[in-house]
Parts: sequence; structure tokens; C-alpha cells
Amino acid sequence: MSGIKTIALNTFRESIRGKVLYVVLVFGGILILSTYFLSPLSVGSAREKIITDVGLAFISFIGVMTVVVVGSTLVHKEIDKKAVYMVLIRPITRLEYILGKFFGIMTAVLLIALVMGVLTALSVLLGGGNISGQLVAAVYFSILEMAVMCSIVLFFSTFTTPVLTFFFAACVFAAGSLSGDLRVFAEKMGSSGGKLIMDLFYYILPNLSIFNYRHEAVHQLPVPINDLLISSVYSLVYCGALLLLAYLVFRRREFT
Amino acid sequence: MDILSVEEIRKSFKSDFTRQRSEVLHGVSFRASDGEVLGFLGPNGAGKTTTIKIILGLIRPDSGKVRVMGRDISDRGIKKVIGYMPEKAYFYNHLSLREFLEFCGRMSGMKGDLLRDRISELIELVGLSGSEDRKLKGFSKGMTQRAGLIQAIIHDPDLLILDEPFSGLDPMGRKLIRDVLMRLRDEGKTIFFSSHILPDMEMICDRTCIIKKGRVVRQLSMGELTRVGEGKVDIRARSCPQEEIENIADYIEGVRKNHDESIISVSKQEYTRSVLTRLLDCGADILSVATRHPTLEDVFLDEIESGSKGESEKQEEIEAVTG
Ligand SMILES: Nc1ncnc2c1ncn2[C@@H]1O[C@H](COP(=O)(O)OP(=O)(O)OP(=O)(O)O)[C@@H](O)[C@H]1O
Ligand SMILES: [Mg+2]
Repeated sequence: MSGIKTIALNTFRESIRGKVLYVVLVFGGILILSTYFLSPLSVGSAREKIITDVGLAFISFIGVMTVVVVGSTLVHKEIDKKAVYMVLIRPITRLEYILGKFFGIMTAVLLIALVMGVLTALSVLLGGGNISGQLVAAVYFSILEMAVMCSIVLFFSTFTTPVLTFFFAACVFAAGSLSGDLRVFAEKMGSSGGKLIMDLFYYILPNLSIFNYRHEAVHQLPVPINDLLISSVYSLVYCGALLLLAYLVFRRREFT
Repeated sequence: MDILSVEEIRKSFKSDFTRQRSEVLHGVSFRASDGEVLGFLGPNGAGKTTTIKIILGLIRPDSGKVRVMGRDISDRGIKKVIGYMPEKAYFYNHLSLREFLEFCGRMSGMKGDLLRDRISELIELVGLSGSEDRKLKGFSKGMTQRAGLIQAIIHDPDLLILDEPFSGLDPMGRKLIRDVLMRLRDEGKTIFFSSHILPDMEMICDRTCIIKKGRVVRQLSMGELTRVGEGKVDIRARSCPQEEIENIADYIEGVRKNHDESIISVSKQEYTRSVLTRLLDCGADILSVATRHPTLEDVFLDEIESGSKGESEKQEEIEAVTG
């Protein structure tokens, strides 16, 4: 347990070390705040909607990007430069290593999501709006999505290069976001072969659309407590399964 | 009891190009008993690093067994008693020395004041005081090597495994590491280290295990080493006629010439008197008479040369060892 914490802390520190991260944060912050100034024509609720929309889109995009970039380079670099030896020769299991990496990266993106969430809320307040429960829920869903992406990236990075990890993760992200649509498409196709493949995709790829509550936040639609629960459990199960897979691959690895 | 036992380890690697497997360790076996300092000697590419990585569980052997205190390396508790210093430094460059050591200590289950005090003590011991807060990235080779030694012993392990701890160090650095190792030996730790720097090995080892092309070709204690060539005598003489040397050829093993000086190796102690008399009779000046003890280097070179292989290959290995 303390092993996971030590690795997580080190990973967190390394994640937030890069200057890129601060650039992204500052840039994102400016963008979110600027929506307030760039939408002077629209007043009241229209303005609030734009700010919420842009802010949430940004949180999700930057969060996922950070997870993918940091996740795909960090583990690989550590293996490549053999710093990982310093960990693996100590009384730490490889599962603890993987979990430590996961929590470390997640802590870093959590921080990013929080900062950007606060900035979005600030812009909304400046625009004369109120902070809704939906906004908070939408940020929470975004974080769940980042966790799923983080486990996917870690899984790939245990056996492939940063470039390929990035590529695979981008594919999964794109397909996963469309997952619901794919399903609908499959229903329409009717033919059993195509449907089978679509079904397969649907069940293997993460269904990221269930983490998108931007629409609800923008239009202040109710978010059923059930959705919250289902998405949380889904994210937990998906992460658990992928981290386990990552561990199984990592356990077999040799470090020559 | 054996702290470390390596039995019949075999390992092959797949070549990147041909996809063919070639075996680099052909059944390596040896043991290190409690409190022993065991040297692991071999030319480049002999399989030292591979063996060490297998002991540490970083690589899996194709067959064979490694036991540390009778336990398997996959047994996580056993890693608490092992310290490892890698061949090259593999560190987290963004950390300062102190942060890195804290990280290592925590992973080995240490914490709090105990860890802090231990870090200060060891930094002092290896002479890195003043560099605690510098980033490892800016460390010189020698400094990195010292940092590597600290992380290996931070948790006070009973078994220390070092891969070429002396490589790339200046004489001062070598002495420092040697002193630390001798101190650990006095504390009763078991030390297993690879090297091709023979004098360092001779000075601190109790025993040496010579590996060549993936096979342990010889194991000898330092006691045996001094006995190996016992009774052989070297006579250094000036201006001895060549005919006379040919006359005593039966008594001698060889002659090395250096300008007008000859170093004549007498093959048996009891021939010394006759050889000396003959040399004096023919008017040679005797410069010195000395008993010859083989150095580890002699034994090592013997082992290397005794294989059936081409001259160029021999030369390469000798250069690798001495250069
Ligand atoms: N990952 C690998 N893939 C293929 N061959 C390898 C690999 N690692 C080591 N070898 C081969 O195994 C042999 C032993 O290598 P090893 O690094 O163990 O030697 P060494 O005794 O440590 O040499 P050195 O003194 O140069 O450090 C070499 O011939 C090397 O080419
Ligand atoms: Mg080596």
C-alpha cells in the first residue's frame, strides 16, 4: 500500500513537472475566461450556456490529452531509461507499480480538471449565472472518462511505443465517443455479420458517450442519480479490468 | 548457509534480425555463502550482467533456479534483503539526490527520521556532502556511481549485488568504493560483484568465479590463488649468453627479454640453485631472485587463452580485460 503511494507521488511530481502542462493550463484558463469576453453580444443565459459548453469541452479535451501524452511517455521512458529497475528490485510488486502509475497520473489530471473547473465556474459567475449541480456533475463525469482513458493508455504502454500508444489511445477515444452511435448503426444494418462486429466493438471499447453530460449542463437538464451511479461503476469496472490486463502483460515482461 | 545459490541457469535471447535464439548462458551455477565476498570475473559479453539480472528477477531464465536465503526471487519479502547497484546509472533525473534516495528508501519500506538520518549518514560516507539538493541530471559519472552505491545499501541489505561498481572511476573513487565494500564485508554482509578490474577484485574478494562465454570455467579462493604457482621462481639477470640459456632449457619454463635483461622463470623451486650456479658461471649478473605468485590476472588470462579460438579473438579479450 505504501509502495503504491510512493510511486504515485513520484509519478505525480514527474507529471506536473513538464512545462507543457503549465502552458496548457494557462492557455486553457485564458480560453475559458475569454469566452466571457468574446460573448458580449449574448447576454444572460445564452452567455452562460456558451461559457459552460466551451469550458466543459476544454476540461474533457485537455484532461484526456494530458492523460494520453503523459501516460504514453512516462512508463515507456522509465523502462527505456531503465529507471524502472530501481523500483522492481525493491519489495514492490508489479501490480503496485501499475497502480502507483495510475493514481499518480490521475492525481495530476484531477488537479488540472479542478483548476479548469474552477475557472469555468468563475466565468459563469462573472457572466451573472449560477453554478449548477449539472456543471459539477459534468466535471465529475469528465474525470471518470479520464480515468478510463488512463487505464487504456497504461495498458498499451506496457508493451508498445509512445507513438503507437498515442495512436491506439486516440483511436479508442474516437471510437469510444461514438460507441453509442455505432450501436444504433448496427441495429439499422440488420445483417448478422456486420452487427456482430459492431456488437463486439461496442462491448470491448469503452462507451465514453455515457461520460458526456455537457448537453445537460448547458441546458440545465436533470441528471438522474442512476446515471451517476451507473457511470461511476462502469468506469470503476473498466479501469479495474484494464489495469489488471496491464499488470498481466507487465508481469511477463523482461528488462534487458 | 548459502545466501545466494544459482543453479544451472540457461538463457537465450532472440536476435532482432534473424529471429533465431542464441544461448548466452549455458548452465551457470555458483553459490555465495553468508558473509562471503564473491567476485564475478569475465570478459565483455561473458554473461555477467545477464546472470545478475536473472538473480534479481528482471529477466527470467529459460531453465535453472535462483535462491536467495533459500527463497525464490518472486517472493517479494526477499527483496528487502537485497541491494543492487546497476552497471550504468538508471535514475530519475528530475529528482535531487536526496529526493531520489528518499524515494528508494520508502520503496524499501523505510520512513521518517530513520530514513532521513540514514540518507545523511550515507551521503557523508561516500563524500557527496553538499550535493544533496542537486539534480541527478547534473551528476558526473563518479558522483552517479556513488549515488548508485548509496541507493543499493540504503536499506542495509544482507546481500549486495553490484554490477561493475568500479567502472569509470578515478583512483580516488575506486578506493572510496573499495573502502565502503570492505566496511560492509566487516559488518558481515555478503557481497557479489562483477568486474574486470582485477586488482580491485584481488584486494577484497574471498573467492572468484570466472565466467567465460556463458559458462563458469573456474572458481577459486584467494588462498588457492596464492598457492597456484607456489614454488616457481623468477630470476632477473643481465648479459647471459643465449647458448647457456638453451643449455638449461629443461629447468626453466620460459624467458622474457627486455633489452639486455632476461627474466628466467624456473619451473621448480629445487632447480633454482643449479640454474643460478650456471648463470653465475657463465658470467651473468644476477639482479634479483623472487618467488612468483600468480595474480588473478594470470589465472584469468590463462582461462581466457585456454579456449580453442583464434588469435585475434584472444587479443580482443585480453585488451578488453587489461584496457
Ligand atoms: N537483450 C539482449 N538481446 C540479445 N542479446 C543479448 C541481450 N542482452 C545480452 N545479450 C548478449 O548476451 C551476452 C552477454 O551479455 P552481458 O551483458 O550479460 O555480458 P557482460 O558479461 O555483462 O559484459 P560486459 O562486461 O560488457 O558488461 C552478450 O553476447 C550479449 O550480446
Ligand atoms: Mg555487463
